Amino acid sequence: MGHNRRARQGGVMGKTVISIGPFHPLQEEPELFTLTVEGEKVVGIDLHLGYNHRGIEKLSESKTFDQSTFVIERICGICSTSHPFAYTRAVEDVIGVEEPERARYIRTIIAEGERIHSHLLWVGLAGHFLGYNTVYMWVWKLREEILDVMEMLSGNRNNYAMFKPGGVRRDIDPDVIPVALRKIDGILPTLDMLRKAILDDPVLHARLKGVGVLTREEAIAWCAVGPTSRASGVARDVRKDSPYAAYDRVPWKMITAQEGDVFAKAVVRIMELYESVAIVKECLKSLPGGPIDLDLKGVPPGEGIGVHEAPRGEVFHYVRSDGTNRPVRHKVRAPSFMNIPTCTSTVVGESISDASIILASVDPCYCCTERLAVRTPEGRRLYTGPDLVRLSQEQTRRLRKEMGL
Amino acid sequence: MKLPKLREVAEAVSALVHRPYTSSFPRVPHVANPKFRGQPKYDPDQCVGCLACEQVCPVEALGHRDEVSGGGGRRVLIHYSDTCIFCGCCEAACIADHRGIRLSTDWDLAFFDRKTESFETIEKELTLCESCGTVIACRDHLRWIAERLGELAFSSPTLYQSRLAALGIVDANIVAALRDQGRSDRMKILCARCRRQATLTTA
Repeated sequence: MGHNRRARQGGVMGKTVISIGPFHPLQEEPELFTLTVEGEKVVGIDLHLGYNHRGIEKLSESKTFDQSTFVIERICGICSTSHPFAYTRAVEDVIGVEEPERARYIRTIIAEGERIHSHLLWVGLAGHFLGYNTVYMWVWKLREEILDVMEMLSGNRNNYAMFKPGGVRRDIDPDVIPVALRKIDGILPTLDMLRKAILDDPVLHARLKGVGVLTREEAIAWCAVGPTSRASGVARDVRKDSPYAAYDRVPWKMITAQEGDVFAKAVVRIMELYESVAIVKECLKSLPGGPIDLDLKGVPPGEGIGVHEAPRGEVFHYVRSDGTNRPVRHKVRAPSFMNIPTCTSTVVGESISDASIILASVDPCYCCTERLAVRTPEGRRLYTGPDLVRLSQEQTRRLRKEMGL
Repeated sequence: MKLPKLREVAEAVSALVHRPYTSSFPRVPHVANPKFRGQPKYDPDQCVGCLACEQVCPVEALGHRDEVSGGGGRRVLIHYSDTCIFCGCCEAACIADHRGIRLSTDWDLAFFDRKTESFETIEKELTLCESCGTVIACRDHLRWIAERLGELAFSSPTLYQSRLAALGIVDANIVAALRDQGRSDRMKILCARCRRQATLTTA
């Protein structure tokens, strides 16, 4: 199938440089992809990180340990609870304490709710990129339900402000639990339908299978994390490897796939949705009593490490304390930092209409792909961001016609 | 295979017969979930003006201004709604049973003029040092401390005078007219500096 597409390109054409990026203020890590293309085939990719540096680490060092959680929460809008999760674990590591039992469950509920809406967002946008706008709309409708649940549990749809070193800030009201469970159950029939529709669709199989393959060896060599590595057969998940919060108290299984292509990444994310739904439901049902906060007084000198499996992979925080009420050093490593460079292995050799979905398959912020611009070496503009999305959608349409559907 | 799959048709038909999932905002106003964290609002009756909220606010969305004139003073507590992130730290830190400032479900914060509409204020009466006239604390805050300490408050004239004034036993507006630097200074409502001076230098 890949052969057909490449055969069509034919002819001798000059190399063209395409810039994707450089930044969008909503991204965790702004990035610039410079694709070199021959005709429609990508022959080289260059990657620049480090635009739009916001100085979050420095800002965090100027706030107290308690206030820092709110700065850290704003590193990313989608995984707004993953960073505080890793940060609070790092601070607890400095002190040498663990959060109370009830706080463990509440933390798990919030973190998994976030994973559900983050993966749903990805599935929807992937649908949009491939020209399946119905998937886009239906999945985002489901995501609204989850965001409503999060609003009931934490008071906001994003930026939950639930985490604090030593526990959580707010308790979950018992009256809300049945309503939340009903809402979560409510999305399952449509989710089932969508899962089957997406995984059975012959066009999607043709479009995504064998595209942007990241082999197991490459995944290990690039230190890929999260669904990106799990889709390549690297069974790594912080939640399983070194359990924390309530992850060892509720049953769930790690989802892996072997193929490493875009389809495998989609399958891993979709199947993880079900695991996350199961974790949230189980935690809500078996929420133990007791305090939700250790009421910590001060942080002793020392250093600590906190990790959490964010929707995109392992997020890592390092905190050093000198005994004052502010961190003297706070280092953040977000998962996309490890995942984005894998595009060097996955995009080269593919066609330009596949580039946007491959780059998107590691789930960086999609806004970057909206900022695509294709230029000839003389600086003439060939394609804009919307053009490339259109190219990607046309590719699906063409495939569908070829397959006689 | 050319036929649409039945399960998708079922969803499409149900989407067709159901009303739109989106709401008719702004024609139908949005009512936030009671759990929603919206604009924090002061309760002027509960707030004691202690500034604990200002201390903990991670984004410095809370401020205050002390206005002293003609022997009286008032503290203006300010909440900047354009800076606020609705984290609820102010409510959690509030010493008045978390009721001095509370998150509401008010989400509609659009305004036209940042200079006049981006903040909310309340005013609290200040207690001034009877000797030098500097600000000690809000009148309600001193009363709150005295109530919490109970009879222990009688170890501090500033506190018990505030308490007695609140109970109406002494005139709340009485201010010792003369700065006599004598032993009688010790019985006045004094700032920390004047208290030290009165205690150390008067025999």
